[in-house]
Amino acid sequence: MNKEEIVEKVNFFLVDEFEVEEDDMSPDANLKETLELDSLDFVDLVVAVESNFGTKLIGEDFNGVETLQDFYDLIERKIS
Amino acid sequence: MAEKVIKKKYALVTGGSRGIGSAVCKQLAQDSEYHILINYNSNENAAKATLQEVEQAGGQGTIIKFNVTDSESVKSSLDAWAEVNKNAVIEVIINNAGITKDGMFMWMQPDDWHNVINTSLNGFFNVTNHLIQKLLVNRYGRIVNMVSVSGLKGNPGQVNYSAAKGAVIAATKALSAEVAKRNITVNAVAPGFIKSDMTADLDEKELKKMIPANRFGEAEEVAQLVSFLVSKKASYITGEVININGGIYS
Repeated sequence: MNKEEIVEKVNFFLVDEFEVEEDDMSPDANLKETLELDSLDFVDLVVAVESNFGTKLIGEDFNGVETLQDFYDLIERKIS
Repeated sequence: MAEKVIKKKYALVTGGSRGIGSAVCKQLAQDSEYHILINYNSNENAAKATLQEVEQAGGQGTIIKFNVTDSESVKSSLDAWAEVNKNAVIEVIINNAGITKDGMFMWMQPDDWHNVINTSLNGFFNVTNHLIQKLLVNRYGRIVNMVSVSGLKGNPGQVNYSAAKGAVIAATKALSAEVAKRNITVNAVAPGFIKSDMTADLDEKELKKMIPANRFGEAEEVAQLVSFLVSKKASYITGEVININGGIYS
C-alpha cells in the first residue's frame, strides 16, 4: 500500500467513524483536536486501525504523533 | 440491509469453580441473561460441577482453563475462545481468583509472598488489562473485584494477602475513574469470614465471637451482592468497596 492509499483509507474511516468533516483534514491539522479525542477515545482509533490495516497500535506508538501527517506516517511505518 | 448480529453476552468469573466464585456463577445465571464463562486453573471437575449448577439454575455457561498469574495463558485462552465464539462479547469481569498463604511475616518465604500477590493483584491485571479495550469500545461493562476485609484493615498472619487485596482496592478506585465515562463500573467486594474452602480450617466457634452477626457468612450472600453490582440497578455505583462481613469492620 503506498502513501496515497494509506491517506485515502485513513481519511475514509475518520470521516465515516469519527464524523470528521473532510474539509478539516489537512495533513498539518492536529489529530487530537480535529477528532475531538479524549484519552479514552484513542481506543476507538486503535480498533479502527486494526480493522482497516490489520496492525495493532499501542499507547507508545502515539508518542510524538501530533498531526494527521504524523498519524499517516505512523501507520505507514507499522504496516511496512 | 445488513442483518444486525445479536451478540451473546458473557460474564467471566475467574476462579469460578469453587467457593464464592462458584456461588457467583450460579447467582448470575439465576439473576441475569449473561452466559457464564467459568474460569478454573486446575480443578476441572469442580468447574464442570459449577457449570452443571449454572444450567440447573436456568443459565448457560462454558468452562475455560487458564492460570490468572500467567499473562500468556490468560491471553491465549481468551483469544482462542473468542476466535471460536465470534458473536460473543464479555461484558462482565469478576476478578475472584485468589489464594492465601498465611503465616507470620517474619517467617514468610518469598514464594508465599509472590504467589499471593501474583494471583490476586497480577491476576486482576492480566485478565482486566486484556479485556478492557473491548469493554471501552462497547461502551459498557461491569468489573467486580473480590477483595477482603484483610485488604482494608490488615490481618495479622496475612501480610501478603492484605497487601495484595489492598492494592486491588486502590486499583479499583483508580480504574473506576478512568473508565466511568464509558459506562463501565469498577467496584470491589470485601467479604469477611465466609464459609468456603479457604475458611474450612478456621475455628468458626471461636472466631464468630468477634463478628457482631455472630456467624460466618454464606458464599451465596456474597454472590447476591456481586449480582446486584453487575445489574443495571447499580449503574451509578463505581469505585466503591462494599463490605460484607456481618459487621466485623464497619
